[in-house]
Amino acid sequence: MSPAEKRVLVIVPAFNECGNIGRTVEEIRNVARTGRELSPGEKGDSPLHLHVDILVIDDGSRDATAQEARQAGGMVVSLPFNLGIGAAVQTGFQYAQRHGYDIAVQIDGDGQHDASFLEKLVEPICRGEADMVVGSRFLEKTGGFRSSFSRRMGIVFFVHLINGLTGVKINDPTSGFRAYNKKMIALFAEYYPHDFPEPEAIVVGQQDGARIVELPVVMRPREAGSSSIRYFKTLYYMVKVTLAILLHMIRQRRNKT
Amino acid sequence: MNIHVVATVVSVAIFAFVIELVRRRRLTFKYAVAWLLVSGGAIFFAVFYKFLFACAAFLGFELPSNFIFFTLFCVFVTLSLLLTVFLCQQNNRNDVMAQKIALLEFELKELKKKLKVE
Repeated sequence: MSPAEKRVLVIVPAFNECGNIGRTVEEIRNVARTGRELSPGEKGDSPLHLHVDILVIDDGSRDATAQEARQAGGMVVSLPFNLGIGAAVQTGFQYAQRHGYDIAVQIDGDGQHDASFLEKLVEPICRGEADMVVGSRFLEKTGGFRSSFSRRMGIVFFVHLINGLTGVKINDPTSGFRAYNKKMIALFAEYYPHDFPEPEAIVVGQQDGARIVELPVVMRPREAGSSSIRYFKTLYYMVKVTLAILLHMIRQRRNKT
Repeated sequence: MNIHVVATVVSVAIFAFVIELVRRRRLTFKYAVAWLLVSGGAIFFAVFYKFLFACAAFLGFELPSNFIFFTLFCVFVTLSLLLTVFLCQQNNRNDVMAQKIALLEFELKELKKKLKVE
């Protein structure tokens, strides 16, 4: 193991993702196999080596999600019952912390994220330039899947809410394609928001002094199953996340016990 | 006149029921305390209803019954709030345990696999 090698844990939360999860895991494995070496940066850094492990968090699925993920070659942690995406991702952070991973990458289990962007997302962390990297589908006009008008309106609302409250401008705050360094792993292993965690996690990270960087990625439409956020849920989602973010702003600093 | 007897009997019954629940270990003391205090207060006011009337008059309630309703309302709001706090705490602990169990189960499986290979 070279001193520059970074251990990366790819956390894939999955709830009833049979039909998607196998392909997702294989895709990540292919990316991890072909490109373990990052090209040297412009500043003449030495190339970085990545050792990538894939951890699927089966969030109490009732279908064959766990078996499918295992067959595709992922490590699978099965929660005894459905805890929601927040707690599922947090389980991944806890595993990463226990096993001393340098970097955690979160990718949704529904196959919407293009795993080939994994290295790009990890790069600023390897170079010590960011604590947290958010993959955004709105940064560049790269095409690909965008999402419905109402969903985009909601996203724009969160962009402004988070920007107004914290001064951080993230153009795709609901994106579940992210990379975190050791500091963030420790923070989120201890406390990670529940229910619809993505926008809130940005605020939590920012409050903890994290340097958050956003990079463009391409998203695809789902191929099987359905999103956990359906139309009639959008309003509830917006209200819940807004309140949660506002509550977080006035929350007492957590004492380490 | 009979209403005082009924009120006393009911509040004593509740008090006794809570104690019986604690005795049968269906309720732990921690959670029983609130109910014991409430039913104890109810017994007190049912027996010394003149004191209840005096309190109501002092606080400006035209009818003592309104005072009773108001007090009960406050008590139950507080109790349900406390119960929500407990519920929330239990829920959090449940989540933490589920996560721990899942991780331990996974590590145990990996360990068994390793042992089999060797």
